[in-house]
Amino acid sequence: MSPAPHDVPPANATFRQRVRCFFGERLGLESLTALAAKKHVPIHRATVFYFLGGMALFLFGIQVITGILLALYYKPSPDQAFESVRAIMTEVDYGWLIRSIHSWSANLLIGVLLLHLLTTYIMRAYRRPREFTWITGVFLLGLFMAFGFSGYLLPWNQLAFFATRVGTGIMGAVPFVGHELLLFARGGENVTGDTLARFYAVHVVILPLAVFALLGLHLYLVQKHGMSIPPWAAAKVGGERNVPSMPFVPHFLLRDMVGWYIALGILAALAALFPWELGHKADPFGSAPQGIKPEWYFLAMFQTLKHLPQHVLGIEGETVGVLFFNFCGLVVLLIPFVDYRAAQGRPRHLLNLLATLVVVGFIVMTAWGLLEK
Amino acid sequence: MAELPESHSRRDWLLRGLEVIVAATVAVLLYPVARFLRPRKQMQSGALEVVAPFRLNQLKLQAQPPFDFDGKPCLVVCTPEGEVRAFNAVCTHLDCTVGFRADHGDIFCQCHLGVYDLHGRNVSGPPPRSLEAYKVTLRGDKDKPGQEEIIVSRTT
Repeated sequence: MSPAPHDVPPANATFRQRVRCFFGERLGLESLTALAAKKHVPIHRATVFYFLGGMALFLFGIQVITGILLALYYKPSPDQAFESVRAIMTEVDYGWLIRSIHSWSANLLIGVLLLHLLTTYIMRAYRRPREFTWITGVFLLGLFMAFGFSGYLLPWNQLAFFATRVGTGIMGAVPFVGHELLLFARGGENVTGDTLARFYAVHVVILPLAVFALLGLHLYLVQKHGMSIPPWAAAKVGGERNVPSMPFVPHFLLRDMVGWYIALGILAALAALFPWELGHKADPFGSAPQGIKPEWYFLAMFQTLKHLPQHVLGIEGETVGVLFFNFCGLVVLLIPFVDYRAAQGRPRHLLNLLATLVVVGFIVMTAWGLLEK
Repeated sequence: MAELPESHSRRDWLLRGLEVIVAATVAVLLYPVARFLRPRKQMQSGALEVVAPFRLNQLKLQAQPPFDFDGKPCLVVCTPEGEVRAFNAVCTHLDCTVGFRADHGDIFCQCHLGVYDLHGRNVSGPPPRSLEAYKVTLRGDKDKPGQEEIIVSRTT
């Protein structure tokens, strides 16, 4: 087959044009550029919300790169884990930077994902036909929280050890299968070297594979359906067709990049000014030290469980709490079907009230947990 | 726009500037990564001598496996005449560790069938050079023959 006419560079083509033609002819880059040219981002009052997904993607990329780097020096065994992380912080060139960025970026990522979830809810972007985009997104948030939980143990320090004891202990409060879940998560009755090996495998093999698969589906769905336009933005100009938009490449991508630059600056500043602490090596038989707290995104749940009465309606408080959180998660997951007439524009007063309660509750409980000595 | 011939418009300069900034950012990010990848300094004793973990009579009774001498395996052999010699046991071919072969009375590398004699000289097979030889000193009581310690040291 002879090359298409546009694959042949004109006689006076510049070097750049020749290079582009060379690869275009062999790799079929037109289909990619055509796909990129098709993608448009609507412009309205909430356009800024569209940055959050790309920001999460960027932070995930940072996690992948810094995570691979850390894996080159980290040793997942109770005898060596703490020492190897200490060596990363003190002996390896720029190890403190890589580890601090990995930890800070993980926290920012969860924050960005929570905002992404909230703004998607506000824009009602989950309405038909984007239900699966929402569901894959909620599952991705769950996977990233699991990333945070499993990664927290790896330095094998006091805080991590007890946070894992408490976190896996909470699984034991699930009715009927709780104890089995606990054994499965810990790899035994106690948090031991087997737990560390399990968490390491989950953190560096299982979760990355699961995230890549689910993220691929999520991004495919975003491509397939295009950016959702909030109903109020469309109503204001008399229909989705009249909403102005900008091409994704290069207009929105360049704006994305500005955001990524800012994120990079924030990460570098946080890592340099507040390097992530290592703490003391875990002592499986020592008493829990003062101020045991999980990462901030688990703090609201931790705080709620701490202040629940021992028994609620004759059931153990822990169990009630765990069931409640699971119920909340399920409702969040199924919002597109709870609000099933969103596409017809039916108002969702009750859902908005509940969502406000959950968000306010989350903020209040988190703040309480942070401030409590 | 890209199809137009190069022009030095303001837009072109801005785009060129953007490319330079992105390239500089990538370089700035790659620098700590490259430094991170460089292996950290290994803690080595730098010892000039070491006492073998066996006594002379043990060596005469049975060939002893190599042991650590400043991070490298050290092979001590005893010739049929009763002379004790020590070598850096790293094969000069491709970094395998050689061993004493009792039935042939030579030093042998299993990886590529390299053969050295008991002076450490490469006799056959691929090794290009002799093994690095160490100095051996025996320290012990004349009244207790065979109980001598074997001290290996660098010849330099």
